[in-house]
Amino acid sequence: MMKVFWNFGRGFMATGRVTKMVLFLFIVNLLFSLLLAIPMYNSLKDSFGRSEAGSRMAKGFDYIWWEEFRDEARGLETTFSPSVIGKGAILTNLESLIQMRFFSSPSILIVFGLFYIILHTFLAGGILSTFSQDVPRFTMKEFIHGAGSHFLRFFGLMLFSWVFIITIGGLLRDAFISILSGISSNSFSEVTPFFIRLAFSALTFILLLFIQMVFDYARIKVVLEESRNIFKSTLEALVFVFKYPFSTFGLFYLVFLFQVAVTVIYILLKEIIPQSNFPWVLAVFIIQQLFIFAIIWVRCLLYSSQMQLYRYMR
Amino acid sequence: MNVTLNTETQMIKASEILSWTNDTRFPANELRFHLYWNAFQNNMSTYLTESARRGRSVSGFREENWGHCRVELIKIVKNLYFNDYDLMPFMEFQSPDDENLYDQTVFSVTLPQAVEPGQTILLSIEFESKVPRPISRTGVYKDYYFIAQWFPKIGVFEDGRWNCHQYHSSSEYYADYGTYDVKITLPSSFIVGGTGEHQEIIDNRDGTTTHHFHQHSVHDFAWTASLRFLEYKENFEFAPGKITEITLLLQPQHKKLKDRYLNAVKNAIKYCSLFYGDYPYTTATCVDPAYNSGSGGMEYPTFFTGGAYFLTRKGMSSPEGVTIHEFGHGYFYGLVGSNEFENAWMDEGFTSFLDSEVYYTAYGNPLYSRSYFGIPFTFKNVEIPIESSGISGHRQTYNMDEMQRFAWEFLEGGSYGANSYSKAELMLRTLKRFMGKDLFSRMIKDYSQRFWFKHPRPQDFYTVVSEHAGQDMSWFLDQFVYGSEKLDYAIGTISSQRVRQPQGWFDGEYINRQIKDSRYQSEVIVRRLGEVKLPVDVLVVFEDGEEIRETWDGQYRWKKFTYQKPSRISKAVVDPEFKLVLDINQTNNSMMRKPNKLAPFKWVSNWMAWLQHALEFLTILGG
Repeated sequence: MMKVFWNFGRGFMATGRVTKMVLFLFIVNLLFSLLLAIPMYNSLKDSFGRSEAGSRMAKGFDYIWWEEFRDEARGLETTFSPSVIGKGAILTNLESLIQMRFFSSPSILIVFGLFYIILHTFLAGGILSTFSQDVPRFTMKEFIHGAGSHFLRFFGLMLFSWVFIITIGGLLRDAFISILSGISSNSFSEVTPFFIRLAFSALTFILLLFIQMVFDYARIKVVLEESRNIFKSTLEALVFVFKYPFSTFGLFYLVFLFQVAVTVIYILLKEIIPQSNFPWVLAVFIIQQLFIFAIIWVRCLLYSSQMQLYRYMR
Repeated sequence: MNVTLNTETQMIKASEILSWTNDTRFPANELRFHLYWNAFQNNMSTYLTESARRGRSVSGFREENWGHCRVELIKIVKNLYFNDYDLMPFMEFQSPDDENLYDQTVFSVTLPQAVEPGQTILLSIEFESKVPRPISRTGVYKDYYFIAQWFPKIGVFEDGRWNCHQYHSSSEYYADYGTYDVKITLPSSFIVGGTGEHQEIIDNRDGTTTHHFHQHSVHDFAWTASLRFLEYKENFEFAPGKITEITLLLQPQHKKLKDRYLNAVKNAIKYCSLFYGDYPYTTATCVDPAYNSGSGGMEYPTFFTGGAYFLTRKGMSSPEGVTIHEFGHGYFYGLVGSNEFENAWMDEGFTSFLDSEVYYTAYGNPLYSRSYFGIPFTFKNVEIPIESSGISGHRQTYNMDEMQRFAWEFLEGGSYGANSYSKAELMLRTLKRFMGKDLFSRMIKDYSQRFWFKHPRPQDFYTVVSEHAGQDMSWFLDQFVYGSEKLDYAIGTISSQRVRQPQGWFDGEYINRQIKDSRYQSEVIVRRLGEVKLPVDVLVVFEDGEEIRETWDGQYRWKKFTYQKPSRISKAVVDPEFKLVLDINQTNNSMMRKPNKLAPFKWVSNWMAWLQHALEFLTILGG
């Protein structure tokens, strides 16, 4: 357990040294989101027009306006609902990920999502190159160089990881649905199907995180050892994970808990702040952006502490 | 009626004596009966043919899953007017609605002599019913039986003809009032509930028990039996000296919802009595349906099903909403016996109106909720106002059909639902706000009580509304009952400009006043964007706080209001009291001089935070 905390601490310090990199990743996320937020802003602005609904929505939530907006919504607009507020945003995304609902989103969102994944695959090379230095230091030139030099292999690893993800998300899910419908149609109560569904969701999430962890180590191997064979890297990463299960899983879930804690704090803050006037709206906007910054920071923390662990164990 | 349920074969065998009195002015040469369960004996029945068209199939039905109701004996029993006479040879299936030869949900028997007005005929009937797999809110699921529309039910003889429609996929029922005395025998381990007073439980000492139910002044009898029910009984005094026994038959997994269910029934009895007349029956039985039984959310006289999810939360409208709705049907269709085949809006619409009025009075605004991983979450900042009830469905289907259609003649199921439930509810709420709360309350209570144990038609409702309004209200009601147009009033434009000063040549004199007039010439244009025409109020507010109220008859396409005032218009609102809840676009009902800039920023920033988080989540799928 000491190894876990030791490498978590070292990863924490390493991430702390490259705040500029985290800021850069945050700006990428922000700019990317703005590309879609602008048309959404225009849709909302047009819908409110000069109506009193705008004033009511500024003070609280006008359910009648929202129903009208929803009934007319097309494309991206269909994603606007009360469930994207606060905890709803987190839960919606978690459910979409686990239940693979991403592909039932509006097509523009799917295209942007896929593009962002690929972009992030590119950036991951830069992040890991930065953390591979003895004393991590962020310069844009080195970051982009690191990103570019590993991109093709990272892209290959991404596609390879999708094989497993699709297996879980597709085939396993189909099998599960068939089992669940069998159990559900013979059940006397909704309680049993509920717990089975919940257990499957938890299992899917754990497997997704496991795939992420294995491929994280595969990427670390590519960066640290200049490994060319992505299949070999993945296999060796898998061996590494199972060779040191307490350390690898322990570290992963420690960072995961850290992320959960950040998220819970955000939700609590979001729930108690009324967005009824400009200062509070601005305050919530800042909190939201700090939250996004924080989860990007935690993602970097995961990379850096995993890299520390890999080096430590090697 | 003596009934035996064989739980091994899932068969019901029954014998009954039916006493039918011709209370019309016309002789009846034949009798007609419904055999609803024959809709489930093969996939060619009208019910299942219509269901298949709407994507609901019975492909999973095995041999033992089908149901039926077969008359094995029907004969006249001697009385003052008739002699013993076997009617079996004269029994004939009828398909009055679609001539479907495979449909056996209606049969007739030709009588040897007509039942003259005022005469009573006694019939002895024996029948056998096979309980189907759950379908159309009846059937058996494991050891849970929900038995509805299960016996040969006589149609309604009116205006010299039988009103006895076939069973349709999107229609409910219509029957005459009477007294039901029913004895049900089944294994003793079952807990049983049914329409009316549960008068007797007789242990037959052979492993079976007979349950005796009796109820006068009802038009149907339904019952349920299960090994698992938790049974709770409470007497409730809903008005001084007026007591009803509430029975709750609860699923074990919903034990913690007992109080919510019971309170919902109490609130329903209390407020329905207040709004629509004192509940006249001595019992009310609420059944929490078994999972997978498909029997939730249905009404029968004094007996109804709710529906709940074991994780429901405070602030959510379940199980209260459905419980109040189904109890409410005890008034609109139960006491006010409208024809659900032909005038579905007169029971579903009235009951939807009733349930939201009662729910919001008793509980206030429910919260928006959404389930994640099957766990419901409420959003405390998002309340659902009563005005939103039904408007979304209406907005999407308003031009598909007129509200007054036979239930099976709507374009699609969504249109049937939106017209029968939502539009009628919205029409009543609009009428309430249009007439004023007090006048409307007197009117609706009068309508309810005037037609208890009768079969009102749309014109009867028109008459009552017009009587109370003191004018013929057809102009109002026709637009909704027989129309399919939209109601949409909007503020077209608002403008305020300095009052113009004379400049130029006036009768040979050149005038060029340089002094600015401090007053503003303001203008409001109100538009009628839909075809429905109603008078509307308009509120104009000026920047100095002055308010002016106008009334427009709403007839022409637009109306302009002009003012000269010391300050500019701040905002204009058409229908400021939100009387016209049928207006499909409320957002365009108001216009302010300046748009609110905070709202789009506030909501797009919330939405963007969701998107940013989603993108970060997606990185799990990438590098």
